[in-house]
Amino acid sequence: MGLAPILEVRDLHLRFKGVAALSGVGFTVEPGSFFAIIGPNGAGKTSLLNVLSGLYRPQSGEVRFLGRDLLPLPPPRRTRLGLGRTFQNLELFRGMTVLENVKLGAERAGPYPLLWPRADQEARVRARAEEVLEYLDLAPYRHVPAGLLPYGLQKRVEVARALAGSPRLLLLDEPMAGLAVEERQDLARYLQDARREWGVTLLWVEHDLRAVMELSERVLVLSYGQVLYHGDPEGARRDPRVQDAYLGGGA
Amino acid sequence: MWYRIARKLSETYSRRFARAVRESYAEDEAYAPTPLGRCALALFLGLLFLLPLILGPYPMYVLSLTAIAALGALGLHLLVGGAGLISLGQAAFLGIGAYTASHLSGPLAPLGVLAGGLLAALVGLVLGLPSLRIKGVYLAIATLAFQFLAILVFNNWESFTGGIRGRNLAPAEILGHPLDSPGALWYLILAFTVPLFFYGKRLLSTRAGRAWLALRDNELSAQVAGVELVPTKLSAFLLSAFYAGVAGGLLANLYRTVTPEHFLFGVSVQYLAMVIVGGAGTVLGAVLGAAFVVLVPELLNTLVGALGPAYAGALAALRNVVFGTLILAFLILEPRGLVGLWSRVRDYLRTWPLPY
Repeated sequence: MGLAPILEVRDLHLRFKGVAALSGVGFTVEPGSFFAIIGPNGAGKTSLLNVLSGLYRPQSGEVRFLGRDLLPLPPPRRTRLGLGRTFQNLELFRGMTVLENVKLGAERAGPYPLLWPRADQEARVRARAEEVLEYLDLAPYRHVPAGLLPYGLQKRVEVARALAGSPRLLLLDEPMAGLAVEERQDLARYLQDARREWGVTLLWVEHDLRAVMELSERVLVLSYGQVLYHGDPEGARRDPRVQDAYLGGGA
Repeated sequence: MWYRIARKLSETYSRRFARAVRESYAEDEAYAPTPLGRCALALFLGLLFLLPLILGPYPMYVLSLTAIAALGALGLHLLVGGAGLISLGQAAFLGIGAYTASHLSGPLAPLGVLAGGLLAALVGLVLGLPSLRIKGVYLAIATLAFQFLAILVFNNWESFTGGIRGRNLAPAEILGHPLDSPGALWYLILAFTVPLFFYGKRLLSTRAGRAWLALRDNELSAQVAGVELVPTKLSAFLLSAFYAGVAGGLLANLYRTVTPEHFLFGVSVQYLAMVIVGGAGTVLGAVLGAAFVVLVPELLNTLVGALGPAYAGALAALRNVVFGTLILAFLILEPRGLVGLWSRVRDYLRTWPLPY
């Protein structure tokens, strides 16, 4: 024991008409940890992230972030509290340059009135954006429209946009999907560094089990909207219920 | 040898024009990044100031029309090119500004223009409310309804608008000095347009511009990235209407009369055409688009005049055909508009004679 958990989820229920996407999900995330959510297709992983970032409204349950009740807040307010997010299918601003994308992310700390441009704030945002671009090796692409970049780089821009806001907790939805081996290695390194240097807590949904087992410290296994397992990665590998869910009953 | 000379020339030349990699805010947000650009900007502003001494009343009148149209188009740019919200009611805001200015004319003209902008902004804020719920074509139709409603009000609210006969204005006055010619009124127009242009450009490149563009590109992830939907959309509407209102007020002072037919639906469409022909959500696009839409019919008119009255009837009809064809050609051949054309020319010049 020691630090209070950065994120607490209790008894979360989310239904779409007849389909129960999440039924009674609960877990806690320690500050500074690398937390993974895995599970078969349709287990409710992305739904869970969408509840956390405010795109879905759960029927019941409680989400506390840094000790604050998160559920009544709209997505932009959550971002301002320090909750970053990347998406499974790229949701970049394709018509904006890489720099503009990252600047938009960097703004969350000190927004000023929209119609009153402030040079000092802009300079600060720009400096922060440059720092993140440098860090993720995106500096050469700063003036390229984000939609024109290759897929792997677009994914990295999304991570950059989220990191630029100095989030306390970063939600990553399948950041490795569709990347080549080298790109995965790079991304893993960027994420680890961000955790170490900026103290970002990482919560990721990932299908690449090897990456999850090697990088994460805690694992949450979901299946059909329920928690199968919550603990260290080694235990998840050995848990018979997890094996069942992934490999089918007969294995 | 020739290759080396050409290479050297091309390098110095392109360094003069190229915007090298910019890494800081100050370099990024300067209105003109290169020394040559700064000189050009200063020269251009100086020229704007001296124009009335060079040109006669009629060219000044046309130029004033262009400047005013550019202001209105810039407002629409912020909304359409920036936030991606389509409005077919720009002429109605122009009208609100014009009628307001017609009540505060003469020595009060600058105040009237400003009041016109503010009143239009207020109405724009209200019109922005449906944009929070509806999008795309449906929003366009809502603004279309507003446009027709506004015409109805202009025609029938006799005490404020003077009905179909409209209202006449005394010439604008500044410190007892009447601005009764287009050349003199030009300074009033400049006093409003130049600051508003700089403001618009700055907005597009700072937080507001990013938030608008983000909403246009991807509403969902914009919200997750921290963009508040309501203030962002409403501010775009408010500002767009303010620009149109000021443009309308200036127009009233230029025409010295305000009647409903100046603000018909067709005018709204013309403004949308300026945005499309100008291309991309930039300030330059607004100016080029406005110049095109105002000047081309003017040029065609002159052409018709030169050919003599015998053909006038047939040619006047043909004029609209030519104008329509030009707009269509732009949509098909250069979807990025005049700005796209300009940037291609600039890139060509920058790298000439060795593009690779």
